[in-house]
Amino acid sequence: MRELILMAHVLFGVACIVASVWLFVDVLHASEMNLPRIRKMSWAVAAAMWLASVAGGYWYVAHYKVDKAIILKGPWPFAHEIFMETKEHLVIMLLLLATYLPIAAAGNLPASKDARRVMLWVTCLTALLALLMDGEGALIAMGAKMGLMPK
Amino acid sequence: MNDETLSKNTVSFGLALVIASLVNAVLVVAKESSKAVMEGMKAVTGHHWTTHVAIVILLFIALGLWLRRGNGPAMTASRFIRILAGGIILSGLIIVGFYLIGD
Repeated sequence: MRELILMAHVLFGVACIVASVWLFVDVLHASEMNLPRIRKMSWAVAAAMWLASVAGGYWYVAHYKVDKAIILKGPWPFAHEIFMETKEHLVIMLLLLATYLPIAAAGNLPASKDARRVMLWVTCLTALLALLMDGEGALIAMGAKMGLMPK
Repeated sequence: MNDETLSKNTVSFGLALVIASLVNAVLVVAKESSKAVMEGMKAVTGHHWTTHVAIVILLFIALGLWLRRGNGPAMTASRFIRILAGGIILSGLIIVGFYLIGD
């Protein structure tokens, strides 16, 4: 069951990346026609990120201790000391960015170049930060695997 | 017609996002540098990270609502975007820099 929670965390994180890239492209071509979709996708990014955070946060608080001990004893202690430590705090900024997206999307995007510029910056930062989190997560998982491999 | 203004909510909550991100970064340094801060944060919810997230999220919401009073903050879109992007990048660099060099 707990492995499913971790997999759900990754799945929702990837959904956040895909949705924010989709949103970036949609905002580039913002019009009255795609404005409802832009606003729905901004909520989708926020929802995916909150679901990823709840799943990941729960797993981190309840179950990560075991993996942490394995990583720290293994050949890749930096997988926790640098990558998990930065990930668990950078992800809070990502959560803020994703939560902010529906607020910024409520602006008059078709008429306002400035509102579109803000959306493009925020979706870009969201996508890049989410991709970084995905990569850090992969490295942390590899650190646990390295710790379990026979010496 | 090109409406070159940002909504009150966009600016207010955007600035709240920047401030909350910077507080997030400073809180990382504070709790990792001070056992008292770390223990205090653990005592609030049982885990320092949960307390950390709660503080930052609540700060974002409270600041956003506070900043949007009246007409909200007045600034050009270009300045706002510079503050937004710069604040997020700086916060990230503080966190990464601390664990790479400072910790």
